[in-house]
Amino acid sequence: MSKQIQDAYIIAATRLPVGRRKGMLGHVRPDDMLAHAITSVLAQVPVIDPALVEDVIVGCAMPEAEQGMNVARIGLLLAGMPNTVPGVTVNRFCASGVQAVAMAADRIRLGEAEVMIAAGTETMSLMNQIMGNKIALNPAIFEKDENYAIAFGMGLTAEKVAAQWKISRDDQDAFAVASHQKACAAIAAGHFKAEISPCAVTARLPNLQTGEVQVKEFLAENDEGPRSDSSIERLARLRPAFAARGSVTAGNSSQMSDGAAAVLVVSEKILKQFKLQPLARFAGFAVAGVAPEIMGIGPVEAIPRVLKQAGVHQDDVDWFELNEAFAAQALAVMRTLELDPAKVNPLGGAIALGHPLGATGAVRTATLVHGLQRTRQRYGMVTMCIGTGMGAAGLFESMR
Amino acid sequence: MSNFIVRRAAVLGAGVMGAQIAAHLANAEVPVLLFDLPANEGDANEIVNRAIGALRKLEPSPLASKDRVAYIDAANYSQHLEQLRDCDLIIEAIAEKTEWKDDLYRQIAPFIAPDAIIASNTSGLSINRLSEGLPEFLRSRFCGIHFFNPPRYMHLVELIATQATDPALLDNLESWLVSRLGKGIVRARDTPNFVANRVGVFSILAVMHHTERLGLGFDVVDALTGPLIGRPKSATYRTADVVGLDTLAHVIKTMQDSLPDDPWHGYYAVPAWLAALIGKGALGQKTRCGIFRKDGRAIKVLDLAAQDYRETAAEIDPEVLAILKNRDPAEKFAQLRASGHPQAQFLWAIFRDIFHYAAFHLAEIADNARDLDFAMRWGFGWAQGPFESWQAAGWQAIAAAVKADVDAGQAMSPAALPGWVFGQVAEKGVHTPQGSYSASADAFQPRSVLPAYQRQIFPERVLSEAAVSGATVWENDGVRLWTLPQLDDGIAIVSIKTRNHTLGREVIVGLQEAVARAEAGYRGLVLWHEAPFAFGANLKEVSEAIAAGQFELLEKYVAEFQNTSMALKYATVPVVAAVQGMALGGGCEFLMHAAKRIIALESYIGLVEAGVGLIPAGGGCKEFAIRAAQHAAKTAGNDPFEFIQPVFMTVAMATVSKSGAQARELGFAVDSDKIVFNANELLYVALREARGLAEAGYYPRLSPRQIKVAGRTGIANCEMMLVNMMEGGMISAHDYAVAKAAATALCGGDVETGSLVDEQWLLSIERQLFVELLKNEKTQQRIQHMLTTGKPLRN
Repeated sequence: MSKQIQDAYIIAATRLPVGRRKGMLGHVRPDDMLAHAITSVLAQVPVIDPALVEDVIVGCAMPEAEQGMNVARIGLLLAGMPNTVPGVTVNRFCASGVQAVAMAADRIRLGEAEVMIAAGTETMSLMNQIMGNKIALNPAIFEKDENYAIAFGMGLTAEKVAAQWKISRDDQDAFAVASHQKACAAIAAGHFKAEISPCAVTARLPNLQTGEVQVKEFLAENDEGPRSDSSIERLARLRPAFAARGSVTAGNSSQMSDGAAAVLVVSEKILKQFKLQPLARFAGFAVAGVAPEIMGIGPVEAIPRVLKQAGVHQDDVDWFELNEAFAAQALAVMRTLELDPAKVNPLGGAIALGHPLGATGAVRTATLVHGLQRTRQRYGMVTMCIGTGMGAAGLFESMR
Repeated sequence: MSNFIVRRAAVLGAGVMGAQIAAHLANAEVPVLLFDLPANEGDANEIVNRAIGALRKLEPSPLASKDRVAYIDAANYSQHLEQLRDCDLIIEAIAEKTEWKDDLYRQIAPFIAPDAIIASNTSGLSINRLSEGLPEFLRSRFCGIHFFNPPRYMHLVELIATQATDPALLDNLESWLVSRLGKGIVRARDTPNFVANRVGVFSILAVMHHTERLGLGFDVVDALTGPLIGRPKSATYRTADVVGLDTLAHVIKTMQDSLPDDPWHGYYAVPAWLAALIGKGALGQKTRCGIFRKDGRAIKVLDLAAQDYRETAAEIDPEVLAILKNRDPAEKFAQLRASGHPQAQFLWAIFRDIFHYAAFHLAEIADNARDLDFAMRWGFGWAQGPFESWQAAGWQAIAAAVKADVDAGQAMSPAALPGWVFGQVAEKGVHTPQGSYSASADAFQPRSVLPAYQRQIFPERVLSEAAVSGATVWENDGVRLWTLPQLDDGIAIVSIKTRNHTLGREVIVGLQEAVARAEAGYRGLVLWHEAPFAFGANLKEVSEAIAAGQFELLEKYVAEFQNTSMALKYATVPVVAAVQGMALGGGCEFLMHAAKRIIALESYIGLVEAGVGLIPAGGGCKEFAIRAAQHAAKTAGNDPFEFIQPVFMTVAMATVSKSGAQARELGFAVDSDKIVFNANELLYVALREARGLAEAGYYPRLSPRQIKVAGRTGIANCEMMLVNMMEGGMISAHDYAVAKAAATALCGGDVETGSLVDEQWLLSIERQLFVELLKNEKTQQRIQHMLTTGKPLRN
């Protein structure tokens, strides 16, 4: 185990239900989603005075437009936190959320802070283009062969992984169907209840018939992505989305989504002072680089690295939240590291539950720490691949 | 005279025809209420909503652009009849059952506005009989309006009056259908199946009869009755499959039931083999099986003898083919008749019987021979109507041959040819410069003089009618500069003369000369000729120069091309481009440089240079770069790339618009350009537009000097898209190279993002990249392939 001054503990973790792109949260601003997540996580531990929060670190993969202007600071102010609390937005693409958790934990582990909020927020509905509102690639990328793949779309990298790791179309589709089935079963069993903070949504829409603004109000309670009618036959009909003779389709890729989550991280001193029972101990975090053209394989490098850092054996990890950016890369990671499929995404993954980019790491941290509690398991991991070729892995130890 | 206005229309019945008629009204900027029965459960408009949804998926699209669908409002007879009161035109297009139509008319009668027109799209029921289903006060405003499928693309609409129809109302409706919807109108008598279907269905029955008699295969007959004799590619049996064999049987049944005294009545029956197919549910294209069947990629044909489907093997006998290639129609028909080959006998027989049938029934079904011929051209896609074919081959010779066959009992009916065939038409035929023969009036009838037709300077002509020639001002081998003194002698017209209106050297210098002469002596210039607008640069000239290694010459050639574009753009008089049909490559670039575009709805416009491994270099990329800078300047971000991105894909993928309206969306035209629905009106509208611009004090804008370009970052952004397409196996390495060149031209070259350039800079980039690509072996292969096969090569 690496040297540190003290441990960091998660005492609350919550998230909004994840919405499909242009779905139930399609009109909800990312700073509003973030504010709701922060308000909800603070409400779960009322003894903690929000003024004690040293900093709010928020992951976001496209921090511009509605989620620009340092969305962290805006979100915490909208949440009603005192203006003495600062906020910072961090970006490591799809790992931004778990990166935020690691950075918050590190402030505590170094003794610089006693109370931190880590969060993530992302709207893929309000962002017009998946690469941001103004695409502006560096021409130098095309000057060197080794940099050329920076220009690859994520789907294309999944095709490269599928080809190199020989992941068949059938296997990808079967994996995708299983993701939907697990997610639907988990929703039916109420397994997400503990982690979700339902969100009251108000949409103001023009009614052209009456000439009035129609105010639509509803409570978003459940994840919107899972399809109970997903089947191999249906998925087999979809055409490859990224390559003429490819195997990666819209059906075996993660869904584009909207979502936000927040995690309250504290020191041992705070646990004792307020007699708090933590959900989990933050046990370590690692990130590693791989070739951009096979970015999906990133967790293969990050997972062993964090395990070594924490002194934990892979077999001792009971639960892997492995982000399903694409079935192809998830399967390649599982097969390469020989991860036990029964331990990977027992409640389904991003193919069913959605992938709100920079929020996902925080969202799945909430899923993991509550899941470990419910199943009385010990070690769990949140891991994912990252665009331009990286992998991240955060390790958590359940405390109850 | 009060104006005839259709502010809103209703279509009753959201079947295939009703929905597509609604779509075409929406194309013409007429909002439509589309009615059908209320659904039994769920959304009451479910039936109509489904039909509207299906419109988006149909190919070829009934919608001129996707957003048109928003102007079709779903309605049902239970909830929305009240809204009929706002409709000026109501078209009923429900199933062909008189009782159902009677019921519907009763239901809607109280909701019809006092001046509204109500018209039935029946394809065969008696209009007078349907009229009786309406209360008396509505009957003067009722008529038949028979569209053909698909209604956007089929030019023909048959208008049928009842005894009670107000003639003035019908005239107004005709003018409106011609100008606003772009249709060709034939006034039909109220006889079963009207004109086109009466003759067209008989033609199918005659083909079926002679196929069986001579033991020919369906595939052979389709090869014989397609383009070789001036009929559509789908010929006879493939057309039947497309129409639906059950629908065809239904139309035949109408003739069988309603024409008991017709001399050909014995043939108005569904052949046993056809009935058997229908019985088995093999209804043609909609069931993927009919006379033809698609087996994977292969199309198989029904073999009656084997009672099974076999590979198609449509072989036309060389002797018959040689006869068909004979350009002299008189010799052709004589040879077909004289030949002993079954294929030749078949062809003579089907023509003979259609001539016989058309002549016998002319007096009863149509006002004159012109209407009958137009009905077949516009409704069935024949290049010539039966009377035109007859007359072209020599009226008297054909008349004698038909008579001899009838007398010998070889024709399908023993009915004698009517006397007029040997009377006053015998000398010159039915079509004369003074008019076409009316058998009912026994006179030659001139064309209609309704106001809509005054706008058609170049209407579609029947045999013997001459086009307006105008007064030539100047011409070379490429173009003719002329005027139409009777309309406006102050506006010059320049027309391209080359085959397919390709743009060779003579055209390029000719257009410059035309601009110079227009500037010197006229108030405006219209670029007009009949379709196609232009097929692009003359590749043969380009290919010859490449073979001779004359790349410097080629660069000068491109520069000359650009000079022509610039001459059109900066002419001191307004240049109006009147566009119809294909406008590809350089043709597209020329129209982009005009002061204004008048575009026929059916115009297919695109920069297709990528198909031959080149980029637009006649100023096309330059225009897009300028427009991107101008659009960007009006946005907060002022980023030209935002406006380059969509046009880059259009240019790189050689996208061609599927309508005039879509040409606006793709950026080849601008919002202020006019879409004209009837291509025959193009010249009239363009002349008026040029005159209007001139009278409003036209002057060209100065060439922009500070054009902000997307530069290197823009090129990199485009390259990112290309990398993904190439790595995904969607484009070749040469596609990549060509598209990157297009990106470079669109982004103003390899310069810093946001650099300011001028128009000549952009032209120079285009020109250099174009010539570089000409030197590329793969581009040369593409050009050769296009010249030899007419198709693009993806190498």
